[in-house]
Amino acid sequence: MTVPPDTAVRPWARAAVGRVPTPPAGPARRQRRPVTLIAAGCLVAALLALPLAFLLIEAVGSGTAQVAQLTFRGLTAQLLWNTVKLTVVVTALCAVIGTAAAWCVERTSLPGRRAWEVLIVVPLAIPDFVVSFGWSSLWTWVQGFRGAVVVLTLAVYPLVYLPVAASFRAADPGQEEVARSLGVGRARTFVRITLAQARGAILGGCLLVAMVMLAEYGAFEILGYQTFTTEIFSEFSLSFSVPAASALSLVLVLLGLIVLAGEGLARGKGKVSRSGPLAARKLAPHRLGKATVPVLAGFAALTALALGVPVGSAVYWIFEGGAHALAGVTLPTAAVTTAGYGVAAAALDTVLALPLALLAVRHSGRAHHLLERSTYLVLAMPGVVAAFALSYFTEHYLGGIGYQSAPLLILCYAIMFFPLALVGVKASLARAPVSLDEVARSLGQRRLAVLVRVTLRLAAPGLAAAFCLVFLSVVTELTATLLLIPTGAQTLATQFWAYESNLSYGQAAPFALAMIVIAAVPSYVLGRFFNRSAQAERMIIT
Amino acid sequence: MTQLTVTGVSKAYGGRRVLDGVDLEVPENSLTAILGPSGSGKTTLLRVIAGFEQADSGTVRLGGLVVDGPATHVPPESRRIGYVPQEGSLFPHLTVAANIGFGLPRRERRSRGKAVADLLDAVGMTALGHRYPHQLSGGQQQRVALARALAVKPGIVLLDEPFGSLDAGLRAAIRADVRRLLAAAGATAILVTHDQDEALSTADQVAVLRDGVIAQYAAPDELYNRPADPAVARFIGEANLIDGILADGCVDTVLGPLPVRADARSGLAPGPVTVLLRPEQIEIGERNGSRGLAGRIVSLGFHGHDAVVHVEPEQQPGTEQQPGTEQQPGTEQQPGTEQLNTGQLNTGQPGTGAIIVRTLGGCGLPAGSAVTLRARGPVPAWPRLTTL
Repeated sequence: MTVPPDTAVRPWARAAVGRVPTPPAGPARRQRRPVTLIAAGCLVAALLALPLAFLLIEAVGSGTAQVAQLTFRGLTAQLLWNTVKLTVVVTALCAVIGTAAAWCVERTSLPGRRAWEVLIVVPLAIPDFVVSFGWSSLWTWVQGFRGAVVVLTLAVYPLVYLPVAASFRAADPGQEEVARSLGVGRARTFVRITLAQARGAILGGCLLVAMVMLAEYGAFEILGYQTFTTEIFSEFSLSFSVPAASALSLVLVLLGLIVLAGEGLARGKGKVSRSGPLAARKLAPHRLGKATVPVLAGFAALTALALGVPVGSAVYWIFEGGAHALAGVTLPTAAVTTAGYGVAAAALDTVLALPLALLAVRHSGRAHHLLERSTYLVLAMPGVVAAFALSYFTEHYLGGIGYQSAPLLILCYAIMFFPLALVGVKASLARAPVSLDEVARSLGQRRLAVLVRVTLRLAAPGLAAAFCLVFLSVVTELTATLLLIPTGAQTLATQFWAYESNLSYGQAAPFALAMIVIAAVPSYVLGRFFNRSAQAERMIIT
Repeated sequence: MTQLTVTGVSKAYGGRRVLDGVDLEVPENSLTAILGPSGSGKTTLLRVIAGFEQADSGTVRLGGLVVDGPATHVPPESRRIGYVPQEGSLFPHLTVAANIGFGLPRRERRSRGKAVADLLDAVGMTALGHRYPHQLSGGQQQRVALARALAVKPGIVLLDEPFGSLDAGLRAAIRADVRRLLAAAGATAILVTHDQDEALSTADQVAVLRDGVIAQYAAPDELYNRPADPAVARFIGEANLIDGILADGCVDTVLGPLPVRADARSGLAPGPVTVLLRPEQIEIGERNGSRGLAGRIVSLGFHGHDAVVHVEPEQQPGTEQQPGTEQQPGTEQQPGTEQLNTGQLNTGQPGTGAIIVRTLGGCGLPAGSAVTLRARGPVPAWPRLTTL
């Protein structure tokens, strides 16, 4: 046994006399900042700022007088009303449907939840323009505002469902039990605890929906509903009026800013934190009881409308149009091309999202927050703007090298869908506690090793989800693809569009089905994979 | 040999000093507790030692090497520390065996590796190596967290309130286990805690941290019997702090004359002082004309092995005259405090002025009984504090 050093007993004079603060010996040492992360984050943000830079350069180039003239006219007001009206209605509908579906699947005794888990998400794999093709080619009333609300809601509600379901899975179950114990009823617990826990996810999903509404082109074109984006597309690619399109795009970016700010305000400063058990505990699902049948009916109806109608319509047109001989030639080639672009862009985005997500989650600060937020702006920009921006840059600074090449198109996709990847990566990183990183470092692991062996492993489900989201979006992307696709190549979307514009529905339909299949496969496989590993963990207990 | 030396370490967060010149030396193969109330900076100190935080000034040496100093900051992964955080923080995606093997070189990581198997055995979880953290109880999780820290053969093990989330019975068992495991591994360890019992019963020496400075650093018995000042005395266990007048190595108090401990006499001038009487130094008896301080029992707390009795002193004509009262030069004489100006200043029970007495097996008297108190020396003493 060792003897404590004699010197250790210090008379506590200072406590009695009053404390005299001793100044530090030298200037306070600086805490190490995550320099590598910040540098990488800035690079990514700069890359994503390219479209905005293009817009500003164009606007400045054409002079303020012309910009003002192009901006303040009757057309702009009409487009503004159309766009805002649709965005608000669709976002609200998606929030309700997405959250309700997520809660039923994750937290109740819904029969067949494994199947619903997949069926509910699959509509995301169906391009918006295919959904509108499906509806409007069958029923003529699906036009204009009414048609746009129906079609777009059914096409994009999974953007709310996915993050909210993930948040329900990760939420601390104890809080609901505590609320009930404090005499708060079922319904009020749902509002005050369950929804509050998922608030960030719901708002994040709504943000995505609103931004997609601002940027959508193909579906509105088919439905004959005029928004900023459709107008910009025609100004850009039909009238070749770059200044006019730039001016309208600036208004659109402003709208995007307003949505972002609104989401930021609604989110507030509250942070959802987990306290309590050392490891996650499963909550017993709520019994649906008598509500089982109505809820099941609701799920069936949702699936029929969001999945059944577009798929059924495509199948109908294949038989009705009899187009096998004509379409069979390019379908496999187009499918391979599409999948290749999708994988490349999704991988690129997942990697690009990491530094910004790490900064946002692990080193939160005003500057890092702004840096991360800035990247959401690209969602407010139509794909056509990103595509033009990249061709503009290759033309002016690279002497045309890379224009209409596969890498440029992939980069364009990566820029456009970056926010999707960021949301997923951030959410998953937030679930990997910092204390685990610290333990790993204390065990002799370097930062990079900790990232690979702990942080990314824990974030893996979220990373895979982010990858999937980007992949699905690329497969279903139309506008930028039309402009940047390498000469001679065709993706499923461009080939579909060519036939659809030509009213050759029978020949367009196989491409629509192929897109659905190619985008649905990864989500199904991933769903299966995660369920299995979760089951395996549960098996060990018994 | 000294394993850890902390010299003059200060740390501030946004202008608030959390550590204010901490000095600490931890000898090899010993368990040192850092004890302090919440907000005293003990976790910050641990995190500075671990390398998760960097000190603003001062140095930290581990095994003789400077790991944190004016020009150096060795990252946590290069410090050879074992870190057991408050909640265990097991990796949820890894099995128990993989958790324990996490810090080992790649080829030793497999659960069949000897290092991992030995540790699983040591923590008594050989059969549970394939389980995942969420399938373990809190105590098991903490054992695994400790095994994981010990697996890398650390120079020093840092335990951050590791027993806080366990229930009392389990806590004692795990505490003993941890002691045994640390001793078997020959490890040097630092235990951060706010629990005095835990610190005194588990550690070889205890550093009391308060307001960012080490108030006292000593072995548990010394800390209890010879606290550096009244504030530490009050923090470590229950304490009666009683005023008196020192003359000839003896203090006159309301409880009669008490000899001052020989080691506390140096530097103490005759005159007003404050002495420490632990509850077990006071004897309680039914009042039947016997000498001593008269009082009434105000409350009783029965603990099985002993009972804690709170006694309110009474001013009683006929009993022994309160020494010290009349000599007091009016420092704290105030109207309305007649009863307490007898010089007894009790910070163990702020506000009530009651004296705490501990009796083996209880005193057999109900609350409200009239009693007399007698005290045994020797006692530590400090110059009288006007405020505390």
